[in-house]
Amino acid sequence: MDAMSQPRRTALQRILGLRDFGVLVAALLIAAFFSIATPVFLTSYNLFNLLRQTSQLGIISMAMTLLIVSGEFDLSVGAIYAVTGVVTGILVNKLGMSIWVSASAGMVAGLALGYLNGLLIATTRINSFIATLSTMMVFRGLALVLSQAQPISLQLSFFMDLFGRAELFGVVPVPIVWMLGWGVAMYLLLHRTAFGVKVFATGDNREAADLAGIKTMRVKRVGFLITALAAGISAVISLSFLKTVTPTQGTGLELEAIAASVIGGTAMSGGVGSILGTFLGTFIMAEVRTGLVLLGTDAYIQDAFVGLVIALAVIINVRLSSRRK
Amino acid sequence: MEQTPFLVVDGISKSFGSTRALDSVSIAVHQGTVFGLAGENGAGKSTLIKLLCGVYQPDQGRITFAGRPHHPRDPEEAERAGISVFHQEIPVCPNLSIAANVFLGPSMPKRGLAPDWRTMNRQCVQLYGNLLGEDIDPKRLIRDCTAAEKQLALLVRVLSREARLVILDEPTTALTPPEVARLFGIIRRLQAQGITFIFISHMLEELMELSDTITVLRDGRNEGILGKAEFDGRTLSALIVGRTLAGRPDKQALKSSAEHLVVRSLGLPGEFQDVSFSVRKGEIFGLAGLAGSGRSAVARALFGAPPAQSGEILVDGVRRHIDRPRAAVEAGIGYIPEDRKALGIFNDLDVKLNLCMAGIDRFSPRGVLDKRKLRRVTAQMRDGMSIKMQSADASIRSLSGGNQQKVMISRWLALKPVILVMNEPTRGVDVGAKQEISELILKLASEGYTFVISSSELEELIHLSDWIMVFNRGRVARLLPGSEATKEQLILAATT
Repeated sequence: MDAMSQPRRTALQRILGLRDFGVLVAALLIAAFFSIATPVFLTSYNLFNLLRQTSQLGIISMAMTLLIVSGEFDLSVGAIYAVTGVVTGILVNKLGMSIWVSASAGMVAGLALGYLNGLLIATTRINSFIATLSTMMVFRGLALVLSQAQPISLQLSFFMDLFGRAELFGVVPVPIVWMLGWGVAMYLLLHRTAFGVKVFATGDNREAADLAGIKTMRVKRVGFLITALAAGISAVISLSFLKTVTPTQGTGLELEAIAASVIGGTAMSGGVGSILGTFLGTFIMAEVRTGLVLLGTDAYIQDAFVGLVIALAVIINVRLSSRRK
Repeated sequence: MEQTPFLVVDGISKSFGSTRALDSVSIAVHQGTVFGLAGENGAGKSTLIKLLCGVYQPDQGRITFAGRPHHPRDPEEAERAGISVFHQEIPVCPNLSIAANVFLGPSMPKRGLAPDWRTMNRQCVQLYGNLLGEDIDPKRLIRDCTAAEKQLALLVRVLSREARLVILDEPTTALTPPEVARLFGIIRRLQAQGITFIFISHMLEELMELSDTITVLRDGRNEGILGKAEFDGRTLSALIVGRTLAGRPDKQALKSSAEHLVVRSLGLPGEFQDVSFSVRKGEIFGLAGLAGSGRSAVARALFGAPPAQSGEILVDGVRRHIDRPRAAVEAGIGYIPEDRKALGIFNDLDVKLNLCMAGIDRFSPRGVLDKRKLRRVTAQMRDGMSIKMQSADASIRSLSGGNQQKVMISRWLALKPVILVMNEPTRGVDVGAKQEISELILKLASEGYTFVISSSELEELIHLSDWIMVFNRGRVARLLPGSEATKEQLILAATT
């Protein structure tokens, strides 16, 4: 076709050269370990359950990956997740609005908070760690004040089925479908569009991107909107499944999302990362937690294991990328 | 003064895999001299240096330093023996004072457990006075120092540790001409005190000015040694490149008469004021002047990074409001920055994305990436610009500096803007690639591309430009036709 004499590579070589291949192998090895250790692990019930439990984290992590690749990150996603839920709950219960309108309003509220994050960083140029650390506390406070620190219970409805409780073909919990749909959208956006290239360029070398005519601040602001949208979708899935909303929900979710991105090979310095990797990273975290539960491990030790997995993943990643040079 | 040389490298070889980086290279450095080392990138200069300071071990050959065999296993051992290297990137602790940076380490003066600042500051002032003949405030923080002052702090640091041979690896790249002159003065002073230097530079003029002898490496071999009496730019570049560089080509007489770019009383407070010029289609317009004279600020202002605050810019007779890079791109202006690594290249992206970055929207119908199209554009540019690369999907880091620079130029050619603003077009590329890029610029100009080039290399400017505008402290000092300009005139206009 074209004049680029591209060295022909076999399918195997191409797969082995993929950045995400290592994460996939790790995910499979961990799965193999738990399958041998406990017979319950490798059952469709357990796997679907595992994926359903991780779907909210997965949605947020994949958005977070896009933001990290652009060179920023968002510690306030957990709080935005709570605000979206609380706003929805209040509109339904106190004002008697329909769940559809309320949930939309909740997501718009979440988006507004994401817009605020972007605005704060664009106008003050504060580092996003500090900026979103502060908005995390402010947004969490907002959720607590709005709800008077009380959980809000909701009525079952078709909406709940659609977003949280139904099972596609009677087996696949619907949150998984939403996660996969969001994952495909994120994959296409980051890896198959001009916007995605700008995200990579912005995180790789901000000044060079500016000098190539890319509006890097706009790229980052869109990134904050996308993470806020992901937090909103996750909140809707959560309230649909649990029929209840608490102002403290999603505490620590931001760090888990960052952890999943990092396990999946995303560089905290920006410019490197993949949606597939992050999906697998989320999966690995869920595997470790569920597997340990099935093995009957003390619940308190699980976080310690997930911590070890993060360290291990980063060490392997650094090794791999230095060899590639 | 015939004596046994201070440092003798005898028939040293080093291979990396199948590549022979050094092939029985021998050098002899006498005490108290400046030993110039020249060669293209990849000629073996850095490998030789790394052998001397213990980063690599030689496959064959012997090194004798101060009469003793010198086979350091790591840089620390080399430093103990008295050999210190001075890198292009200067490692310092920016939030500590000059004195702290000079003394940092196990031998730092202490009072009990706390650092003894008074002694350190006093000793630091003494060291600066004795070694450099300069007066300083030892309490100033390194982050408030200029690049030149940081270098001096490091120089004092290594000298205070009894370094007897200092290797200067491209020490002048970050310096302004007056700072270079000051550094050279200091080196001569230290030389008189018996310190020996190995001096590496791409700038032939600097090599000839400072060195007592110049050794040229090419493809890992000794290519020649010149004594002070034999120094000559043409001879030297011929030795480095292996062929004689072409002289200045005859400029075509008058090009098309259409005024392509017109700048009227452009100003940016603190940088430059009242700059006006016009460039015809296909012309190369050179901007000369010392660093900080406003020439590179003018180049950046043409691209809106940052924009000028007064005056106007016209492209093809139409007034353009250039307030940011995007607006410049839309007006048909491309910009190639002075620091390719920091401001140009995307390290983790491949060649095609690096090349197509400025036009990524144009090459992506409805925002969807068309990788085939990107590869096709890259292939066209590779053929047109003879860029050496494995494939469009190769990492940008696998390309040499000169080829990366061609990718940077192609980034704008792929977009077909017609005015290219270049800041230091050949900084950090070796002599051969320099020549190639110069030829490319001349060829593109003859095809109708218009250039504005800001450069600190006067010969390059004279060689390329149809017009040269000299800046002095933010003002236009002189405008000369390139065919009549001489280095002396330019230096005179820039400095008086």
